[in-house]
Amino acid sequence: MGDYLFYILATAVVTFSLLAVSLPNLLHGAISLIGAFFATAALYILLQLEFVALAQIMLYIGGIVIFMLIIILLTTGLGSENRHKVPTSRRLVGTGVSGFLLFGLLYAISGKSSAVLAENVSRAAPVTMDAIGLRLLSTRKDGFIVPFEIISILLLVALIGAVVIARRDSGQEEKT
Amino acid sequence: MTLSHFIVLSLMLCAIGVHGVLTRRNLIGILLSVEVILNGANLNFAAFAHFRASDPTAGAIFPIFVMAVSACEMAVALAIIISMYRRKRRLDVYRLEELNG
Repeated sequence: MGDYLFYILATAVVTFSLLAVSLPNLLHGAISLIGAFFATAALYILLQLEFVALAQIMLYIGGIVIFMLIIILLTTGLGSENRHKVPTSRRLVGTGVSGFLLFGLLYAISGKSSAVLAENVSRAAPVTMDAIGLRLLSTRKDGFIVPFEIISILLLVALIGAVVIARRDSGQEEKT
Repeated sequence: MTLSHFIVLSLMLCAIGVHGVLTRRNLIGILLSVEVILNGANLNFAAFAHFRASDPTAGAIFPIFVMAVSACEMAVALAIIISMYRRKRRLDVYRLEELNG
């Protein structure tokens, strides 16, 4: 049962991601990225990590992809402008490099020397939300309070930086 | 459903993202491909937390940090894209030649 579900979801993730990177219209690409993120959230639930699945849906789908859609609509007008032809040489180079990466890494991890894949059927207990919350804010040695606070400062800095960068300079727009 | 299934899946996502980064011409398209790569990396973290980790909670927390950093990166990158669009009216990376060394 779990196997069939995994294969269906993995096919969905790979198909939607391929569509997202290869569709000529960026708007369609961003929408298929939403599908890929939903299927990934389902995979997280299959891995018994409910909190990560919920964070994926809320942060990625509700935040980042919607943000990206707004920017696409603001800059390229329904995503159909800025549609340029990619040279065949560049397409060949991209396919070659990514194929080399895929098969090289597959060969590397499937080698006899890698002990990573040995005895990998042990199931961990499901990670509950309250465990994650307590761990995220605990000040003990294995707590994550310091990166949590640093992330909050980083978010503030990024927000202020984004506002400063995107602000319209007075007088510059009229000249051009 | 074993660890190697998930590793192969995230490897495929990484290769798809690299392909997108190398072949897209639009800046927003490149950002979209980077999101695909980050998605694969998060899936790998989650799979290792489920199958191998002695402490799966830490493996569940790390993708959340990756998501937060990715949100910061997206905000700053999209601000840069907006200001660049205002200046040049186009986002084609083949035409952005000021930084050619």
